[in-house]
Amino acid sequence: GNVTESATGLPIPGVNVIVKGTSNGTTTDFDGNYTLKDVKNEDVIVYSFLGFASQEIPFEGQSTIDVRLDEDQATLDEVVLIGYGATSEQDATGAVEKISTEQFNQGAVVAPEQLISGKSAGVQITPGGGAPGQGGTIRIRGGASLSASNDPLIVVDGVPLDQRGVQGSRNALNSINPNEIEDFTILKDAAATSIYGSRASNGVILITTKKGKKDSPFQFTYDVKASVGNITEKVDVLNADEFRELIENAPGTNPSLLGESNTDWQDEIYKTSVGAIHNLTATQGIGNFYYRANFNHTSETGVLKGDFYERNAFNIALNQDLLDNHLKLSLTSKNSLDKNEFADQGAIGSAVGFDPTQPIYDPNSPFGGYFEFTRQTNGGITQQNLATRNPVALLEQFDNGNQTRRSITNLNTEYKFHWLPELKAVVSAGFDYAEVRGGNFRPLASAANTSNIDQFQNYSGFNRNYLLDTYLNYKKEINLFETEVDLTAGHSYQEFYSYSNSIGTQQDQVVDFPESINRNTLESYFARASFDINDKYLISGSFRADGSSRVAPQNRWGYFPAASIGWKLHNEAFLADSKFVTKLKIRGGYGETGNYEIGRNYGYLGLYSPSQGGARYQFGNEFVSTLRPEEYDEDLKWESLINYNAGLDFGFFSNRISGSVDAYYRETKDLIATVPVPAGANLSDQLLTNVGTTVSRGIEVGLSGEIARSENFNWELNYNISFQDREITQLTLGDNPDFFIPQGGIGGGVGNTIQLWKEGYDPTTFFVFRQVYNDAGQPIEGAYVDVNGDNQITEADRQPYKKATPDYFMGLTNTMNYKNLDFSFTFRGSFGNYIYNNTQSSGGFIEAATNTPSDYYANVNANVLETGFQNAQYFSDYYLRGADFVKLDNVSLGYTIPGDAVDFRASLTASNVLTITNYEGLDPEVFGGIDNNFYPRSRRFVLGLNFIF
Amino acid sequence: ELDLQPEDNRETAASAFEDPAAYKQFLAKLYAGFAVSGQQGPAGNPDLTGLDEGFSQYMRLYWSMQELTTDEAVIGWNNGTIKDLHSQNWTSGNEFIRTMYSRIMYQIAQSNEFLRQTTEEKFNARGVDASLKAEIATYRAEARFLRALSYWHALDLFGNPPFVTEADQPGAFLPKQTNSSDLFDYVESELLAIEGDLKAPGANAYGRADQAALWMLLSKLYLNSEKYNGTDHNAEVITYTEKVINSGFTLVDDYQKLFLADNNTNGAQNEIIFPITYDGINTQSYGGMTFIIHAAVGGDMNPDDFGINGGWAGLRTTSALVNKFLDDNDDPIEDVQDKRALFFTEGQSKEINDISRFTDGYAVAKFKNVDVNGNAGSDPTGDFPDNDFPMFRLADAYLMYAEAVVRGGGGSTSTAVSYINKIRERAYGNDSQNISAGDLDEEFIIDERARELYWEAHRRTDLIRFGKFSDGGVWPWKGGVPQGARTEAFRDLMPIPASDLGVNTNLTQNPGY
Repeated sequence: GNVTESATGLPIPGVNVIVKGTSNGTTTDFDGNYTLKDVKNEDVIVYSFLGFASQEIPFEGQSTIDVRLDEDQATLDEVVLIGYGATSEQDATGAVEKISTEQFNQGAVVAPEQLISGKSAGVQITPGGGAPGQGGTIRIRGGASLSASNDPLIVVDGVPLDQRGVQGSRNALNSINPNEIEDFTILKDAAATSIYGSRASNGVILITTKKGKKDSPFQFTYDVKASVGNITEKVDVLNADEFRELIENAPGTNPSLLGESNTDWQDEIYKTSVGAIHNLTATQGIGNFYYRANFNHTSETGVLKGDFYERNAFNIALNQDLLDNHLKLSLTSKNSLDKNEFADQGAIGSAVGFDPTQPIYDPNSPFGGYFEFTRQTNGGITQQNLATRNPVALLEQFDNGNQTRRSITNLNTEYKFHWLPELKAVVSAGFDYAEVRGGNFRPLASAANTSNIDQFQNYSGFNRNYLLDTYLNYKKEINLFETEVDLTAGHSYQEFYSYSNSIGTQQDQVVDFPESINRNTLESYFARASFDINDKYLISGSFRADGSSRVAPQNRWGYFPAASIGWKLHNEAFLADSKFVTKLKIRGGYGETGNYEIGRNYGYLGLYSPSQGGARYQFGNEFVSTLRPEEYDEDLKWESLINYNAGLDFGFFSNRISGSVDAYYRETKDLIATVPVPAGANLSDQLLTNVGTTVSRGIEVGLSGEIARSENFNWELNYNISFQDREITQLTLGDNPDFFIPQGGIGGGVGNTIQLWKEGYDPTTFFVFRQVYNDAGQPIEGAYVDVNGDNQITEADRQPYKKATPDYFMGLTNTMNYKNLDFSFTFRGSFGNYIYNNTQSSGGFIEAATNTPSDYYANVNANVLETGFQNAQYFSDYYLRGADFVKLDNVSLGYTIPGDAVDFRASLTASNVLTITNYEGLDPEVFGGIDNNFYPRSRRFVLGLNFIF
Repeated sequence: ELDLQPEDNRETAASAFEDPAAYKQFLAKLYAGFAVSGQQGPAGNPDLTGLDEGFSQYMRLYWSMQELTTDEAVIGWNNGTIKDLHSQNWTSGNEFIRTMYSRIMYQIAQSNEFLRQTTEEKFNARGVDASLKAEIATYRAEARFLRALSYWHALDLFGNPPFVTEADQPGAFLPKQTNSSDLFDYVESELLAIEGDLKAPGANAYGRADQAALWMLLSKLYLNSEKYNGTDHNAEVITYTEKVINSGFTLVDDYQKLFLADNNTNGAQNEIIFPITYDGINTQSYGGMTFIIHAAVGGDMNPDDFGINGGWAGLRTTSALVNKFLDDNDDPIEDVQDKRALFFTEGQSKEINDISRFTDGYAVAKFKNVDVNGNAGSDPTGDFPDNDFPMFRLADAYLMYAEAVVRGGGGSTSTAVSYINKIRERAYGNDSQNISAGDLDEEFIIDERARELYWEAHRRTDLIRFGKFSDGGVWPWKGGVPQGARTEAFRDLMPIPASDLGVNTNLTQNPGY
């Protein structure tokens, strides 16, 4: 037979055709054709496909059954998770966005968050450095905090993950295989997030993994992606000849310390990275039991020699519907074994700073044959103290690796009461357990080992997180008032426990470090009521009460209310028949949330810590270990955020053009920051406490357009742009307008910082001297604007100037397919953001080469040829550079060949393809805005093959 | 369960003091606060978080305040505002001044906590027995001594710091500001109050304070009282230095021994009245002696000679100190017979053209992590020295006695001269350079103090007492110029850090800043 779409008559490929109650089934081919054997009279054949209403046709001996499937109105209006329940996209009143598989970024994606980079307005995902398996940084609406975490709460299949991450892991999210993610739902405003209470200020991301389908035939998929990557740029340093000339011409130097070689140290530490991702997936639905099982093997070497990441993951999702679908059981389990080899990233800085006239190897070297800067001592040859170490030796003479095992498992039970089917009870029990075992080793032969024994650290630990959620949901259409009522109320308890210990060397001793244990618990009550009146007016309110072990009893419970309204204008009489407007909804919300990541577990208790190692004091002939009372704030409480959001959702011409616009205002109060405490008032100089307020505002626009929608050719463009502005409005216990807190440590000197927190400024604002330039436009060394006019340049002349966060950022996704060919790409751009080029400021002056603590010279940044700076000018705004960029993140081309037994798809993807920027450093996209020894991201080419059996 | 307690080695006050040894460990913390930077040696669990851990160490900062601001030392590094210390153009934003202030107030807050945890009431609640109580009574006196020492540093450096005692519970409250005059009275009254509770000179365990340490501190307080509250206490200086001098301390035979790795055993311990102790294995820090020794080594200096694995090439001295050993400034320092002239000159120029360049300015080879036989200290990696820092020593008591005599505090001029000559006989190995009563004047005293006590963290206080620190003195690179320039008198006091003014509205900035 053949299956077509009832509205258009077009064939539907991939429809599940199955004999009800058996595993006998098939799927339609690309032309909608199918063949089903061994069908008996009185069998019922089920035709099902996502987005269409299923049909059941009794078999009565027909040789051909052609079926026309109707679009399912319910599924067209997509279901969106909202935390402890779901709503439809139409009825959502908060700023909620769902991003599904078909919109994901292509390529050899290892870190799940990269799937949605650039896809959602207000969500900024900055990839980490180029290390394999490295995680990125997710910011929803720029984050809400200063010192406390700015990471969103991530809930995987109903289990909120520990926001502090997992020990030993490069990226805690890597335990979730990107291949197995069905969709991400991003809750951006407090009306949507406040049901998560004290953990929701930075937004919430709900990740749903793929499940099996009811009544579906056995399907087996094999997917492989092979990739290669290379760095695209190196730090511009002097070559051997330029360096030799610089040293020879500098007064007071000793050119005999130079070598005869010509080494490009950066070439020596980077290499081509290779990676492979395999996914083997089986799914089947046997009556009311359905499952999906996936095995994943991922491995990738880094561009920095010796870096390696491997993931072996086994995911399983089991579903069983019982009691006539009144009882639904769902078990999901994500299990992974990760292996890491960590290269010594110190080699990156060493390669930039190592004398290029020296060779890599030296046959006379006592340091494993590697050239090192040495000196003669009474006892023989030893390494020069504080000299740059051979970067190749740093990589080769160091082993650092670990294994992490993790399981995130959740059993969800949903029961619809027989006597009251509108009422549903849900019990969800989850655990997230992760353990790590690892160590590092640096042999005595390494020059970087200045002790007299092999240096090592061995560590192990685990994180354990239990969850028990229980809630009731009542959903009913009350005809009298034409109102749909949706009520939810429940209780949640979660415990987080972590343990770690280590043993290792300290100088010439092996030390058994004390174990560290942290436990904290969170108990919550929550409720939500939503009303849809006349299918036009939406009213929703939620409330959560959170009790946390992390705060003192008097502040223990926090209350987080939210309310929102919506108006579905398209259902009003004046628009209902419009050919132009398909969807038009305005919505507004208010909510309060908290930030529970207040740094440590017992912050409100006065604790005493014993000393370790060489921190004892001599009393006569004994060395007494010390006992230190720790600073504490008895009144410490979580940050609270209030948030206003107004939004507009629209769809025109049958949603050929659709989108949404959101505007928000947020105020974070009781901001948790580590601030200078009044001297003498507590037991340290800085205290983690509640201070002040930040305010942020923003406008987010998301647009999507289906330019072409036809049988052979489809073309869709998605675009989003976000404007944001954030400011510290209060920061101290007192009220001195000049008060600021230095931030943003830089390389070069010790304790130097380049940013500040100050009232009236963005938290990433830089703090610099204003450089004076000569007529030729060259910076004059040491000449700065005397801002306060006291005829001397002191730090009183340093000014807040520019910031690292963008004024606006955007994403553009293109997807196209023509017959069996598909083509997609993603652009991402960021504007108004600045970077402090620390690579230039810490290495771009003559004395960086010549004024070294002992007998060696260090290479310098080629920027010195432009400035001619003799001494370090760390705080000059000369090094503050505009870092606007547009990046072509990925381009992908795919071809699908449908077959009888096997469907086959091949694709080619390039990622990190192109960066358009004026910034002359390695990469304009550096989280935090300080570019120093950045691990370069590779440009990768990926070949993907996918077989569906 | 929402009431959780720590489950690892951290404890609450209630559980920590179930162990009687906790009191001694807490007392050790008060001492260690001067020597190390946190609960893990050499670094890793810092006491203060406002600045790099090694930089924020008490002794390192105190040394920097007292030496880098004077003619005795310059540093070549580019760390934050460190060079402003020598050029005397620091502002209230200087992070080294800020962290010194924080360190001092930290020590005071820790001592206050100790006193709160050792009250009669707490003892009764915890059932502490009588013998332990008696022992803790001495601990309490030592805690008050250490608090007075830090308050004296606060008085001397900042004049008008915030004031907290054990009566103030920890929190985020705004401490009241005190003033020089009141603080002088407080420190004096505290020291007088605990005099009888401290152990007799030499009777306490090595490293811990006794009455002699207290008398030294009282002498220091009285000697500088003119600057603190405009009063003259030279008579009391005579009284208390005499007590020290008559307590059985003796000058060690060889000046250099005072500054070696074994200065707790080589005889120097009989001269050192109160040390800040270090040990290459047990008391490690990137501040203190590690800083003073490593940072002073560079250029052609052989790290082996200093018992360390390499120099940090930062500290040198100016020609102003070198010239104090010379009859004529053009004489070569190598010919000087004074054994206290421990300079390293090979490859170094006497004058400084570029502060950043280690070879500009003579290096100082006073502190060495080797014992009297030249063997390196106990840390086999050569990172952390064994040298104890001599905070108070007998030669200083002699010099203070002599100064108080010159300033009209009574005493005996001939005794003063004999004390000075003891020092000089050790320096020259004979009596050829002995002085007579006619030589003993203020000018001689301040220069002799430089020769005897340079790099021992006395210089700034001494120069201020003699009116030579700011508007009354010039040395190379003072004021940021090679030849040196006078600065304004308000710099005799350090500024109250801007950060604390920002959070504590009870505070008023010192004049001039």
